[in-house]
Amino acid sequence: MTWDEFLWFAIPAMICWISAGALVYKCKKTFIVEGLMIAGIAIFATFIIGLWIGQERPPLRTIGETRLWYSFFLATVGYFTYKHWKYKWLLSFSSLVACVFVCVNIFKPEIHSTNLMPALQSYWFVPHVTVYILSYAMLGAATIAAIIQLVNLKKDRLDDNLYKLMDNVVYIGFGFLILGMLMGAVWAKEAWGHYWSWDPKETWAFITSAGYLVYIHMRLQKYHVKFVLWMLPIAFVLLMITWIGVNYLPAAQNSIHVYSN
Amino acid sequence: MWQFPWRYKESIAFVAGFVFIGFMLQITVGKFDFYLLQAPVNLILGGAVIAFLILLSFARKSAFYQWISGVPLSVTLIATLLVLGLIMGLTPQFARLDPHDKDIFTVLGFRQVTSSWPFVLIYFLTLISLGSLIVRRLVAFRKQDYAFYFNHIGLWILLFAAGLGAADIKRYVMHVREGEVEWRVYSENKDVLELPVAIQLNDFEMEEYPPKLTIIDRESGESQPKNKPDYFQIDEKRPNGTLDKWDIRLEEYIHQAVRNSDSTYQAVPMPGSSPAAKVSARNKQTGEMRKGWVCGGNMAQLYMTLPLDSQYCIVMTQPEPKRFLSDIDVFMEDGSEQHAVLEVNKPLRIGSWTIYQYGYDNQAGRMSTYSSMELVYDPWLYPVYAGIILLSVGSICLLWSGNKKRKAEDDLG
Ligand code: HEM
Repeated sequence: MTWDEFLWFAIPAMICWISAGALVYKCKKTFIVEGLMIAGIAIFATFIIGLWIGQERPPLRTIGETRLWYSFFLATVGYFTYKHWKYKWLLSFSSLVACVFVCVNIFKPEIHSTNLMPALQSYWFVPHVTVYILSYAMLGAATIAAIIQLVNLKKDRLDDNLYKLMDNVVYIGFGFLILGMLMGAVWAKEAWGHYWSWDPKETWAFITSAGYLVYIHMRLQKYHVKFVLWMLPIAFVLLMITWIGVNYLPAAQNSIHVYSN
Repeated sequence: MWQFPWRYKESIAFVAGFVFIGFMLQITVGKFDFYLLQAPVNLILGGAVIAFLILLSFARKSAFYQWISGVPLSVTLIATLLVLGLIMGLTPQFARLDPHDKDIFTVLGFRQVTSSWPFVLIYFLTLISLGSLIVRRLVAFRKQDYAFYFNHIGLWILLFAAGLGAADIKRYVMHVREGEVEWRVYSENKDVLELPVAIQLNDFEMEEYPPKLTIIDRESGESQPKNKPDYFQIDEKRPNGTLDKWDIRLEEYIHQAVRNSDSTYQAVPMPGSSPAAKVSARNKQTGEMRKGWVCGGNMAQLYMTLPLDSQYCIVMTQPEPKRFLSDIDVFMEDGSEQHAVLEVNKPLRIGSWTIYQYGYDNQAGRMSTYSSMELVYDPWLYPVYAGIILLSVGSICLLWSGNKKRKAEDDLG
């Protein structure tokens, strides 16, 4: 199989995922939703395996190929987390983001730009990046919940269920964040000789996790309710700087993480 | 204030005091010198920390212990590390500084935060606070708290080993010629040293990606169009493309080519060969056609361009490395010997040493006659990895159980 057959798998997979993501709110029969989700994942996996066999190497080299894995992991992890936690928005959200990556591969393939520099050619690349994307998605959702809760606080009507959801999503998101960081550390040891060199991106990842740790630990006690709620939007801003902003900081001119040309 | 139970006010005052002492030390004695911690000092200090935590645990019923192992101090310490991190993330950090630089940021240690006294002191306090918490919770062990133990013990071991171990890490670069044995290395200060490790380079090999084509102005050498140059990535599966005002077609590509006497190319796999492509170009406006060989050249061969008109020509860029590897034999002082093929992302670990493929002669590329290796010595690596493994199990627990249990014993209102 080659990229020429991609559309034949991408479109059915997307139809499955999007309809699962939409039906989850309407349809009482959960097996339909789950069946669609699994079918989409299976179709997509078939393409990845086919490509693997067709190219006689694991499809991990090009940017387009790594995007295949994002879509696959987002759908899979989204499905399992949904099954475990029963948050419907989580299923729709991961389906949607998975489809965005599929569409990028359709419209802007870059499937032939194989020039991945040797340091990036590692089996840590895909899980490291994918886990971060998942964590960003979760922590983004927690931020929205925190803002809603801040409005509730103003009206003096704190929502206990919303608190529960927020804490859960932060714990899950933070779990992914730490996993991503640790994978990055092990990878850095393999590729650059040290597991933590305070490279600007690493420094900002540290700042971000400190922000979420403040939230997690302050939530264990009842004090300073407003400050604690504000911690989530603040930490999310730090996270955005880590993800996107670092490239523009003067402190990051020589970062190994700025893969610019 | 200062009435037990202590909460945020006291914690902030306490931590601020330490930060203040840190800055005073920074200004008077200069940065914290990690080499003071070199073995065996770090082992003794580590032992002292553990002994101190055990001794302190006898006072664990006291209000002081509750505070030092409690949430307000922890949060204050984490927040302080966050602020120090922000300083680090916003001020460019330097490995070496001019000793005469009297800039205020330099004097306060902002340009080398990780070896500044405030950072070192707060790091140390965090180790004590987190350690006392772990002791308290281990004494009152409950197996349903497994996630707590994995996270906090993992992090503590990681902080302990990474912090104390930082003094013992050594990095050297060794350049070995093909067919020769080498044991001399360059240290980070560019001193030449002899190591108890010798490396023989049997073979250095390199694979390259197919290069790109671009149009340059023959006078200035600039790629065209000037502001946003076009590059055509050579790929035999996609022979057609455009460069500036020309449609390009790749007629033939030879990855390892050697020039014939009539200026054509043929495939000869040998170190001195270079990629070459037969290209035809058609001007989109005038329909003019050009056809010929283009070659990037290297130390052994001249380059070849395809002239389009008096001003512009098509050239080939230097190929980018895809993989490079060194076939080596490593000899240790104790007589042991190991054979390995080093590659980026595939280092060799022998005891506390890790040996990396580091570089090669960039000018010569595939014809490089030597390979550079980096040798990193880190005797604390295994404890660090133990911490990483425990912490990752802890993260997976967080993923799985989320925030399910709500503690009855905590004062969450
Ligand atoms: C990866 C890092 C960390 C994670 C994921 C984490 C997570 C947690 C969680 C989930 C709890 C509540 C669980 C329970 O009480 O059983 C907790 C409690 C706590 N953590 Fe952490 N934590 C981390 C780092 C730290 C650090 C660095 C400190 C101290 C400097 C700290 C101090 C505390 C304290 C004082 C408690 C309250 C427990 C008690 O008083 O019994 N944690 N942490």
